[in-house]
Amino acid sequence: MRSLKTILGAMVALPLALSAPSIASAQSVIEDVVSRGKLVVGLSTFVPWAMRDKKGDLIGFEIDVANQLAEDMGVEVEFVPTAFDGIIPALLAKKFDVIITGMVMKPQRNLTVNFSDPYAFLTVGMAANKALAEADGLETMEDWNSSGVTLTIKRGTAPGETAARLFPKARVRQFDDDAQALQDVLNGNAHAFLTSEPKPAYYVIDNPDVLYHPFGVGPFDPSASAFAVRKGDPDALNFFNNWIEYRKLDGWLDETHAKWFKGRDWLEQVQ
Amino acid sequence: MTATLDDLGAAPLRPARRPRAWWQAPWVDVVQFLLLAGALFWLAWRGANAIDYRWQWSRVPAFFYREIDGEIIWGPLIWGLQVTLYIAAWGLVLTLAIGLVVAILRLSDSLSGRILSRVYLETIRNTPLLVQVSIFYFVLQPILGINNPLWTGILCLAFFEGAFASEIMRAGINAVPRGQWEASQTVGLSRAGAYRYIVLPQALPLMLPPLTGILVNLIKHSAILSFVAVFELTTEARNLIGDTFMSFEIWFVVGAMYLVITMTLSAGVSWLERRVAAKR
Amino acid sequence: MTPGTKRARFHWLDLVVLTTVIGFVVYVFYRVDSVLVYRWDWSVIPGYLFRWDEETESYAANLLVRGLITTIRISFWALILASVLGVLLGVARTSSRLLPRLIAWGYVEFIRNIPPVPFLFLFYFFISSQIIPLLGLRDAVESAGPNGQAVLAVLFGPANLIENFASGLISLAMMSAAYIAEIVRAGIQSIPRGQYEAGHSVGLSSREILRQIVLPQAIQRVVPPLAGQFITLIKDSSLVALISIQELSFLAMEIAISEQRFFEVWLTVGLMYFVVCYACAIAFGWLERRMGRHLR
Repeated sequence: MRSLKTILGAMVALPLALSAPSIASAQSVIEDVVSRGKLVVGLSTFVPWAMRDKKGDLIGFEIDVANQLAEDMGVEVEFVPTAFDGIIPALLAKKFDVIITGMVMKPQRNLTVNFSDPYAFLTVGMAANKALAEADGLETMEDWNSSGVTLTIKRGTAPGETAARLFPKARVRQFDDDAQALQDVLNGNAHAFLTSEPKPAYYVIDNPDVLYHPFGVGPFDPSASAFAVRKGDPDALNFFNNWIEYRKLDGWLDETHAKWFKGRDWLEQVQ
Repeated sequence: MTATLDDLGAAPLRPARRPRAWWQAPWVDVVQFLLLAGALFWLAWRGANAIDYRWQWSRVPAFFYREIDGEIIWGPLIWGLQVTLYIAAWGLVLTLAIGLVVAILRLSDSLSGRILSRVYLETIRNTPLLVQVSIFYFVLQPILGINNPLWTGILCLAFFEGAFASEIMRAGINAVPRGQWEASQTVGLSRAGAYRYIVLPQALPLMLPPLTGILVNLIKHSAILSFVAVFELTTEARNLIGDTFMSFEIWFVVGAMYLVITMTLSAGVSWLERRVAAKR
Repeated sequence: MTPGTKRARFHWLDLVVLTTVIGFVVYVFYRVDSVLVYRWDWSVIPGYLFRWDEETESYAANLLVRGLITTIRISFWALILASVLGVLLGVARTSSRLLPRLIAWGYVEFIRNIPPVPFLFLFYFFISSQIIPLLGLRDAVESAGPNGQAVLAVLFGPANLIENFASGLISLAMMSAAYIAEIVRAGIQSIPRGQYEAGHSVGLSSREILRQIVLPQAIQRVVPPLAGQFITLIKDSSLVALISIQELSFLAMEIAISEQRFFEVWLTVGLMYFVVCYACAIAFGWLERRMGRHLR
């Protein structure tokens, strides 16, 4: 039983050891970043925001933004790609300084984390299964708003709101990723797939026999992407807001956004 | 918990004891155990406070139910729970069926039976469930024309757990003494008859405890169907988290829900076991 | 007529059954092209296993192989820790004292009934975030010097994620240990009473009986179920993607998303897991036969 006593002893000693160091500090994350010389950015893969190129390196709009941000702060950047389910807890538990991953701000989310000013806007497009829509006689918006209609989206993205607003009666199935949500529509399990532009347009171009735009290429519902930071840190919010404003004014943000969203030149780096 | 202290795995043999001092009394051990559990809980509590996150427990009840005009509307977590239980129930039936067939095939003298059961077992056991779910859902479903995500999910889970169930059943059948087979042959029973009337009734009590683990796993593994957007408890929870970012609150609530269900089931099965044992 | 004892016979029915199954598989492959709206393109996969590095002019491991190495790395350490913890808990569950029995029982029931994600969150964010920094892992790695760091990187992965790695492997090991404890307990309890009595009669203490008589026999009996548990651990290690460890499943998912090559990537990854797990199963089968020979 000696081993057991050791364990019990350790259990008693641990709280004593823990009571010594102090974890919490009231200073802003910005000060931490500068003194550490490194900005820790949490992100998860989302085309074309953050993805892997052929060499296995991270590329994308977010990567450019975070790199520029770190450069302007005069610090290094460390990207920590994490499964989507893990990034919010990691931010709350101070494992990341900021999340930059095309996160759409919504009031419900804003109760839990703070968002910076928007640095990019996205609109939602819809790609539908031609055969299925014809078979079920779906033409007008009213036809589409029915309990017999199944829509797919990527979990936790802006189209969820769009679907709920435009087609409240339809069933919405949320997948971990765009690729699965698209495949589900291609397989004929669901009527249409909602995601942020310009992806729906590309999907229709790539699969002209199967997919179409039920309501034209026209996008719905603009929504705004922002950095996510922990609550209770006005300094960080102020810094990020002003950085975004600064890079908006000098045109850098627009230019970079256009590079990733207006064309598919980056595709060569990936495929 | 219904487990008595004797269930906790008593020592195989205790040497004759001297009279015990008070500090050797069982209650002292229980108190020590509770202190230890309390210390762990305190540690977790301290950690939760250290990240100074503002907990939003007040938003949680709305995920269970809302009251609109005096009418109670069940929330997503309740719907998800129902689907999870549905998956577990049907999954268990299919798992047992698949497990039994595979166990008998593995023990049969038929060449194809042995080959097929072996290939099945090795494939299922050595590849991740996530890959299996993807193939079932995105490839097999359209080809076989099942066209029902929920049932594709149940089928896939049953095929997965069936591999483990079949090993438990095989062990149970093997544990029935050889003499029983010979005896049933002597009284003129066919092989199927021997299985049905002699062997399986004896093997069942041996299989029951490990099969409880299968049921618990069915419930826990059903969470993986959220990958193909089946509306079960974990899917609903993850959707809610996507909307509200309340990762900690929702995951802990959902974890507690799973804990309560599986503990209740385990307790139920151990009660059943004792009934079965008492009858013999 | 005891099942499974005779050599397998070949019957005409076998031919029918096997032909049907093969026919079904061929049908599935045939239909994949016509039913599934998907353009297969396997050409990108090899590049994600190994790529030609123009700077060093040699082949370098790319994401999939790097992920596989991470998976093996974390599973390896977790297996060792889980075995130690599992045997301790399994022995505790058969102890003659109540306290160790209660502790082991509480632990096993808690772990087996709670889903892995809440457990990981609870452990990683609330418990290990207080304890792991006390160990000073990060400082230790940073002070190791370039050669030491290279060795450590091979053993434990990149330095910046060393604390995540430690927490991840501990939580994987803790989850697996609960199941190993049950296997060990069953092994210990399967040793007939006579063995204990014999041990006592030659004057061995309870601890000596456990160490010299019971455990050696029990270990041989628990090898087959243990192999299954180890394989489960390897497959379940994908969980640690939630705490930023770049293991195989996570990187595969990232490639599948970036490349839009969902099926090719998943099938490749399934095969990679299969190779590792099946190798593990074969190794354990060999171990079991060897131990059997030794005891006979």
